[in-house]
Amino acid sequence: MDPLSWTGSIAFLNPLLFAALGLLAISILLWIVIGAVTPENRAITNEGGTLSLSAGPQGLAALAVRITFLASAVILLAYVVLGLVMGTGAGIIGAISQRMLPVWIALILLFTLSISFKRRLGLYGKLFDSPIGMIGFGLVMFWVFTGIFGAFDMIVTHDSLAQASGMKNKAPGTPLRGAEDGDFAWYLLGGDNLARDVFSRMVKGAWEVVKIAPLATIFAFMVGITLGLPAGYYGGKLDTFLSFLANLILAFPVILLFYLLVTPEIVATGLPQYMAVVLFAFPMVFFGVLLNARYRTQPQKNLIILAVVLVPLFLMYMSLINAAGSKIDFWPLDFFDVPGGILVVFVSVVFVNSPTVFRIVRGLTMDIKTRDYVAAAQTRGERPWYIMLWEVLPNARGPLIVDFCLRIGYTTILLGTLGFFGLGLPPESPDWGSTINEGRKLLSVYLHPALPPAIALLSLVLGLNLLADGLREESLRD
Amino acid sequence: MSKLEHTDGPILEIDRLSISFFTRLREIPAVMDFSVSVMPGEAVGLVGESGCGKSTVALGVMQDLGKNGRIVGGSIKFKGRDLGEMSVEELRDIRGNEIAMIYQEPMASLNPAMKIGKQLMEVPMIHEGVSEDEAYQRALEVVTDVRLPDPERMLNSYPHQLSGGQQQRIVIAMALMSKPALLILDEPTTALDVTVEAAVVELVKDLGKKYGTSMLFISHNLGLVLETCDRLCVMYSGEAVERGSIEDVFDEMQHPYTQALFRSIPLPGADKNARPLVAIPGNFPLPHERPPGCNFGPRCDYFEAGRCDAGDIAMADVPGNDRHATRCLKFQEIDWNAPITVGEQKEKTAPGKVVLKMDQLKKYYEVASNALFGGGAKKVVKANETLSFEARESETLAIVGESGCGKSTFAKVLMGLETATDGEILLDNQNIEQTPIEARDTKTISDVQMVFQNPFDTLNPSMTVGRQITRALEIFGIGDSDAERKARMLELLDLVKLPRAFADRMPRQLSGGQKQRVGIARAFAGGARIVVADEPVSALDVSVQAAVTDLLMEIQRNEKTTLLFISHDLSIVRYLSDRVMVMYLGHVVELGDTNQVFSPPYHPYTEALLSAVPIADTSVEKEHIVLEGDIPSAMNPPPGCPFQTRCRWKSEVPGGLCESEVPPVRQLEAGHQIKCHLSDEVQERMTPVIKIAAE
Ligand SMILES: Nc1ncnc2c1ncn2[C@@H]1O[C@H](COP(=O)(O)OP(=O)(O)O)[C@@H](O)[C@H]1O
Ligand code: SF4
Ligand code: SF4
Ligand SMILES: [Mg+2]
Repeated sequence: MDPLSWTGSIAFLNPLLFAALGLLAISILLWIVIGAVTPENRAITNEGGTLSLSAGPQGLAALAVRITFLASAVILLAYVVLGLVMGTGAGIIGAISQRMLPVWIALILLFTLSISFKRRLGLYGKLFDSPIGMIGFGLVMFWVFTGIFGAFDMIVTHDSLAQASGMKNKAPGTPLRGAEDGDFAWYLLGGDNLARDVFSRMVKGAWEVVKIAPLATIFAFMVGITLGLPAGYYGGKLDTFLSFLANLILAFPVILLFYLLVTPEIVATGLPQYMAVVLFAFPMVFFGVLLNARYRTQPQKNLIILAVVLVPLFLMYMSLINAAGSKIDFWPLDFFDVPGGILVVFVSVVFVNSPTVFRIVRGLTMDIKTRDYVAAAQTRGERPWYIMLWEVLPNARGPLIVDFCLRIGYTTILLGTLGFFGLGLPPESPDWGSTINEGRKLLSVYLHPALPPAIALLSLVLGLNLLADGLREESLRD
Repeated sequence: MSKLEHTDGPILEIDRLSISFFTRLREIPAVMDFSVSVMPGEAVGLVGESGCGKSTVALGVMQDLGKNGRIVGGSIKFKGRDLGEMSVEELRDIRGNEIAMIYQEPMASLNPAMKIGKQLMEVPMIHEGVSEDEAYQRALEVVTDVRLPDPERMLNSYPHQLSGGQQQRIVIAMALMSKPALLILDEPTTALDVTVEAAVVELVKDLGKKYGTSMLFISHNLGLVLETCDRLCVMYSGEAVERGSIEDVFDEMQHPYTQALFRSIPLPGADKNARPLVAIPGNFPLPHERPPGCNFGPRCDYFEAGRCDAGDIAMADVPGNDRHATRCLKFQEIDWNAPITVGEQKEKTAPGKVVLKMDQLKKYYEVASNALFGGGAKKVVKANETLSFEARESETLAIVGESGCGKSTFAKVLMGLETATDGEILLDNQNIEQTPIEARDTKTISDVQMVFQNPFDTLNPSMTVGRQITRALEIFGIGDSDAERKARMLELLDLVKLPRAFADRMPRQLSGGQKQRVGIARAFAGGARIVVADEPVSALDVSVQAAVTDLLMEIQRNEKTTLLFISHDLSIVRYLSDRVMVMYLGHVVELGDTNQVFSPPYHPYTEALLSAVPIADTSVEKEHIVLEGDIPSAMNPPPGCPFQTRCRWKSEVPGGLCESEVPPVRQLEAGHQIKCHLSDEVQERMTPVIKIAAE
């Protein structure tokens, strides 16, 4: 087997891409410079009511930016499509593109469906009117699909934990020594310090992120919302107290907290577990109050609905906090245990994020509670929690959704940071933070093990930020 | 900076102007084929319902249509020069220097972080490059001109330290600083109280004369336009439908929409039985859903299929009148003097037994005078001071007064959102004044319900209409199953004359009037016996107001509801209420049945209030009573009579009694009471404020 080059037989695209990117950079520069020196132009109404922008140098520059951008995009697409067809014939890029086939299919399906029904999909549909939002959403969904399919062992080329002899720190495209039938014959992105496949680890790492980041953020939101609503709604002493608490936590050095939480002595006291007891109770409380507030007028129905929702939640909760051989070990129906490290991750994410969520929710609540529909609910004798959860919260959803996207991004970075410091996740975990940390040690010699996870992390967070921007922009428009 | 030369001819000439907004879905033609001209020194009114394009015209004149708005046809000439052909720099000079604009919300034009004086002085310093001293003198002069007390102190304060009326005066002063040739006022008084509005309008009128400024006065209120303008242009759905002098349009209207508009507003000059309100049927068309041919066609009584919907209709001059034009094909065929065909009139049911009684109700709030640290002496705000009245079954009691008079506080105490400080509220002879809403039983809660003022706020935006009504039914314990409640919910939609299909709509898909109907349905969900309607129609367009008012009264007739109708609009109060209670700074200053309150002897405040209401009827003569100053703050009420700071009769009371003693409640005729020191002799001398000129 020969080693794979990066682009194989589609190398003819490379000069084209470089040219397009170069021109794009130049035109952007020109556009900025011209925009700064020439006066703004006005829309001019021509005879007969047609309209044109006065085509000055500024208009030309804008046009150039657009054209070069399109050209670059088309060439990039060509890499993907040609790679898809030619596979390893198109080098590493081709091979990766082919491995990613399920992701491409899923993305195309998702986008065609969403765009064709976008007028009926509310805010989500509006997202497809904003190029920024679409790019962001595309990036995010790319990693989500990669994570999901990767979890089913679909994209990965090798076992992410298996070490292959002779593959230690090998460059991207190195053929696998002694590959048997059915083995993928190359390490596409090379091997790491322990001779594991970097590409497969990156794909598996996507699943770690996709699995933990949104869930941990949801917990942070539940805590923030459950405390922010009453603080904003009642105001007064409760508000003062909770806001003070939030500020206190925000002033706490977070890394210190993480180190404390994983110290064996602290773990032995059961502190992380006790924190989990409090933390994981929030969803139960939240859903319990939410449903009870709505159905309390129909006691029969209320009981059934509460039972249907709360019993499974409670069982899950008990399984979560109960672990054999730990401080909390009395519950017989323990279905699963959470590794202590994951718990640290959850606790940290909630700790870092919930005070900020709390503040946003509190502010929105203070604004919304002055609306007439809240007064109408009060005058028909609704209980405070009904008003907070059903009259106020749904109307605060716009800013909260935007913030949720941003916050998943922060959480992803936080996960990376935690992994980097070796906190939380198990040491052999393929998550991006840990991988970067391992790659760091030999960074001056071997760049390739650290780069793919770093780029993955960067593009996912960038995608989340763009998505949030798109959502914000679209939710403000008509 | 020099001003443009101007010879004679119109100051502003808008010719066949069309403006569109481009959204991602479609082009929205906001203004179509609109022409109007403003001569030097002339005030032209622009009247129409919200959304008909008035503000777009104004922004078009300012050439400030935002990113997605464009002039797609026609021209706007200012002093003979086409604004569309001017460069950005030229336009910048003209805005603020030659054309000034005043918006509805005064704070939109003021910088909250800059002292008033500095903001005013900036105008001539930037536009004309005058020295600081001179600018200060000019600022002082205009502030005096807009009749603000203590001009020097005013110049030295920040905008938030002034009341709404004072802020609006400052905005007017700012607009006048550069001595513009044209002043555009976009609903300048909508955010103000009636008596303050009257004073501001008076001011604008006088200043227009003094400075010789031409004005484009945008309003939805025909009465205000009558008081301020020389000529008027009625807009409907993006088009001018009628244009002419005030007299021509008011007395010889030549367009069915203008006629319908006049018929849908209550005029105090007319008898409510002889001239009932006639609501305009149907809804205002959305800009992209306009019918073919005449925009008003679907709602027009004179509509003729095949003719009115055949093609675009042009403005046509009305022969015999000066510059009077209308956009109606049939204006020469319609008999404009035909009497109104009155629908079937239902008898009002006579008021029954007393259901609600307030006795010496007091509500005081304690507020910390030092907000930051919460310490210091506590101040007492007397939001309601000894309120006493009775309300009977099927009776409409109007509660009239301006902001801060304690109407909302009273409603809150009645609803149980606050508890009374002292006194009694008896509902069916049971005391409820100390029972907060959590402690009230379902029956009491569903008996006393409320309709809110702001249609855009009254419904939860993220819940379907049906669900919101059903929720009220659930809370009030109506119906045994979901199916039963659903049936009842649909009946309630029928009751408020909304199609049943609306049950699945979201509030944003409804118009203001429709939302208000849902609010009414929700209030009546539990068979309410007492409904507090807090300005239920004041935020609606005139043509919709009549329909919603009629609906409320019809439901009241059928359900024998006691309606407590909170309002500041005396025209509508006179039209629908049996008894009227006038409040000022927490005090009931006058209480009596409608005729007693609307005819002399008045309480001096009622008199001023009556005079302040703009009336859209040229045959009505009003006595002009302009109240000085603003309503005092309830934190700092004046000693003695609450009205003494603004009262014009105060000098008739000997011994300075008004300033030292709160006047006692005096019974005049049966059921008519006034809280005033004026003696009977003086009160005898009062003359009616509103007089109908002899035909
Ligand atoms: N919660 C409160 N705390 C302090 N002052 C209040 C409160 N609610 C109302 N007030 C004061 O009571 C007076 C009457 O207010 P309100 O009843 O809202 O008048 P209206 O409804 O006529 O506008 C106002 O001066 C207001 O500032
Ligand atoms: S043109 Fe026809 S529909 Fe339009 S206002 Fe005149 S009569 Fe009515
Ligand atoms: S008591 Fe005096 S100040 Fe008050 S309303 Fe009567 S006359 Fe005016
Ligand atoms: Mg109020």
